[in-house]
Amino acid sequence: MAQNNVDIKFLIGGPQGGGIESAGQIALKTFILKGYQVIGTREYQSNIMGAHSYFTIRVKPERPGAINFPVDAAVVLDAESVLTHFQDVKKGGFMVYDTTTLKTKIANIAPMPKPLKDRLTAFFQERGLEPTAESAVKIAEENGVKTIGLPMKNLIREVAHKTGAPLSRVSKTLNTIGLATTLYLLGVEASWIEKAIAVHFAAKKKVVDMNVEAAKLAINYVDEHIGGPCCFLPEGPNLGKEAMLVTGNEIVAIGKTVGGLTLQTYYPITPASDEALFLEGHRNYDLAPWAAEALELKKLGSVVLQTEDELSAIMAAIGAAVAGARSATSTSGPGFALMNEAISLAIMAEVPVVLTLWQRGGPSTGLPTREGQQDLFHALFSGHGDNPKIVVASGDHIEAFYDAIKALNWAEKYQTPVVHLVDKYLASTITNVYREDIDPLKAQIERGKLVENPGPDYLRYKITEDGISPRAPMGKVPLVWTGLEHTEDGMPTEDPVVREQMMAKRRRKFETIAREIPDDEKAVLHGDPDAKITLVSWGSTKPIILEALKILEREGIKANFLQLRIFYPFPTEKVRKILENADLVIDIEQNDLGQAAFLIRGFTGFTIEHFVKKITGRALWDTEVALAVKKIVETGEREVVVNGGA
Amino acid sequence: MARSWMDYKTGAWVQWCPGCGNYGILNALHRALAELDIDPSRLVVVTGIGCSGRSCYYTKANAMHVLHGRAIPAATGIKIANPNLTVIAEGGDGDMLGIGVEHFVSVGRRNIDITVIIHDNSVYGLTKGQAGPTLPSWWRTKALPGPNLHDNLNPLLLALASGYTFIARGYAYHVAQTKELIKKAIEHKGTSLVQILQPCPTYNNLMTKQWYEERIYYLEEEDPNWDPLVASPEDFKSKMSIILEKMIEWGDRIPLGVFYINPAKDTFEQRLEKVIPTYREYPPAARPVAANGKPLVDPWQVFADKIVKA
Repeated sequence: MAQNNVDIKFLIGGPQGGGIESAGQIALKTFILKGYQVIGTREYQSNIMGAHSYFTIRVKPERPGAINFPVDAAVVLDAESVLTHFQDVKKGGFMVYDTTTLKTKIANIAPMPKPLKDRLTAFFQERGLEPTAESAVKIAEENGVKTIGLPMKNLIREVAHKTGAPLSRVSKTLNTIGLATTLYLLGVEASWIEKAIAVHFAAKKKVVDMNVEAAKLAINYVDEHIGGPCCFLPEGPNLGKEAMLVTGNEIVAIGKTVGGLTLQTYYPITPASDEALFLEGHRNYDLAPWAAEALELKKLGSVVLQTEDELSAIMAAIGAAVAGARSATSTSGPGFALMNEAISLAIMAEVPVVLTLWQRGGPSTGLPTREGQQDLFHALFSGHGDNPKIVVASGDHIEAFYDAIKALNWAEKYQTPVVHLVDKYLASTITNVYREDIDPLKAQIERGKLVENPGPDYLRYKITEDGISPRAPMGKVPLVWTGLEHTEDGMPTEDPVVREQMMAKRRRKFETIAREIPDDEKAVLHGDPDAKITLVSWGSTKPIILEALKILEREGIKANFLQLRIFYPFPTEKVRKILENADLVIDIEQNDLGQAAFLIRGFTGFTIEHFVKKITGRALWDTEVALAVKKIVETGEREVVVNGGA
Repeated sequence: MARSWMDYKTGAWVQWCPGCGNYGILNALHRALAELDIDPSRLVVVTGIGCSGRSCYYTKANAMHVLHGRAIPAATGIKIANPNLTVIAEGGDGDMLGIGVEHFVSVGRRNIDITVIIHDNSVYGLTKGQAGPTLPSWWRTKALPGPNLHDNLNPLLLALASGYTFIARGYAYHVAQTKELIKKAIEHKGTSLVQILQPCPTYNNLMTKQWYEERIYYLEEEDPNWDPLVASPEDFKSKMSIILEKMIEWGDRIPLGVFYINPAKDTFEQRLEKVIPTYREYPPAARPVAANGKPLVDPWQVFADKIVKA
């Protein structure tokens, strides 16, 4: 196979806490080392141990934009994984399972959700089959899937025998055995797998040795009992190129650090907290050579503060900001709800603060570990009173990196809360980034009208033409920051004339923002601008829809994609023009209300009539988007709901 | 030249009712600040919502008027961002012990070096006299349509349980004594509480000036050997039972003064310094964030642990 045609998809399933994460990482590292680009995305439940989770990986010479089913291969070493994924492998693909799980009955798989048990039991009953893992393997075979049963007990015993390690420890190599089998059958030579294992477990030599032994054994087993791959994968185009492997949570933390964040607060919540923990893990850092030289300073540190709740998280971030810190907080929908009152305070008191909002499936506690894009209204309309704030949504890891920096700039420059909208899919999707993808020297750090030496006549809320008052941090001169309506010096007033003046000043500030942030940063039209079909979406659907455009083009459907990046201030004219130029506009969102379409109508007057939705909380696929769009194009259907993924 | 308490007045019209205890508290605060000679430019006063919330406009300082119940977390953010500032959080009993009680508790766990002043009048004055968290059950102040069904909480015990390392109680009309308490609280390194009992002549017709003054007494006046310092396990063993007894005492007699000082616990700022070596010299509010407009950080250096390299 030529390297340019490489497109591999596979999944690794298993109980949470059972090493799926580690196996997924090893797989991703194998392909990065081999010169390919990867994405991996994790589907998991609100549970610490035992519930089914899986990691889906896609490998291509260029960065894959989406995952989709069916996959080429599945590693399903427990009965629940077999039964969850036996229909997710394509014809001609293969499924690696553990022969000892075959007799397991559906009824005896305690963690499996009851609705799935009921569906599967009915499925097998209809076909006159026992409700067991064995039946699932049989169906997979009937579907043209090669099923590869590994005698896992024996293999593990053999690893123990070879390494002299106790069985209890060796049993942790189960996933490595399954993964090595799969990678080898996909055409990856043993040496790459061994390299990735060494990289992944790094300094832990014993663990490396044990896992390498397990991988070797698996590969021998394949050679002896199954037959190795027909041919090996060529090395990828990016062989030897330095890459980081990062999740969305991590890239935002990296962006904030590069962006000059000095204090972050948070209260634990999925899927946000990994960002803060990663920041905390890197809170002390060396300055880059150019900065160390300019400042004659080698090291600095940032504070990451875990607070008692989200009320405190946002208030401490606000307090830090008025003191002069470059500050942010990070949360998900439920926590953001608690922050609402303080957002309003930050608007009135003109406090620079960034809120990173990692959306997940709601309403309420909803689907705490699943994807959702349901907080667009929530972000835009948060806070009581007239409540303008900057709302920016990132489409992928690289945008998220630069947006994290820009959000800090905008917050300080415009003295306003900035909501950085991201989501669970981005949070738990892991990909490679190269040096040119995240280049710190492409970023500019701006602090706006920060006054280091305010005089005695300093006015915190000075009325200015652009609506932005010079900002002095605390500790220089007596001043007032307040949530009450106020005169220029911050003293409270209910005077009607001053009220109007201050409302007008704050409005002018947003006119300045609307003017200064270019339209190109607010909305992006991808693809052929003359295409007569326009797909509209926002956030992490971006790379998925870009892939879908390619699929559609192969099917003879020419469409472009309008990605909304900033919802406030909204690029009204640009969006209206683009939409009015299309014959067919389709809104694609992972919420039920079509929130972006609703806002578009509000801002531009343009009514979108067609919708593609996904509300299952699972990752959106490029293939299902393409199919749904095709259906709308062909039938004129108003709404297509897609629901792929276990 | 040393500062006078007059130097801390802002000139704003003070909007409290005649006879309000807040006047005494404000005056005691200003006198304390003057005697400590604190530069208003380096002083931060954060207030919540309610009558006492207005205090920040009446004290020359870096003032911040925030949300109901949220003075403490804002003050926490300010102090962490710039540990060189003197930070005071003020609020009423409703603000600090009702809507904001989670922060009142959590700040003690950090022992961050801020002073919490509670203007305690047992009613929500600005909303016309509803029952506050320190109003005893079955009492019915004049604005209430029926008796208060909630028990009153004990702020001193709550502060002790939460980890405050300085706990005092004063009385609003005793400006000289309250000034001393506030001074000690500000000087203390760690989270300090000054609960200040305060008649509300407009809405609390039960806990009046007369009611308080028939009951209050000062710990060190009653017991010349009164010593609230709990600096060691030995101190703890010998003094805590009497301290607790005095903290609990409420009714016919109400003790005032400093109840508890624990100088042994490290402050949050000290804890931060242990994990962030550059913290003291370069705290979040007083450190560079860029070098000539360029980032300080090369992610390929700082996040090298994420690089996949054979």
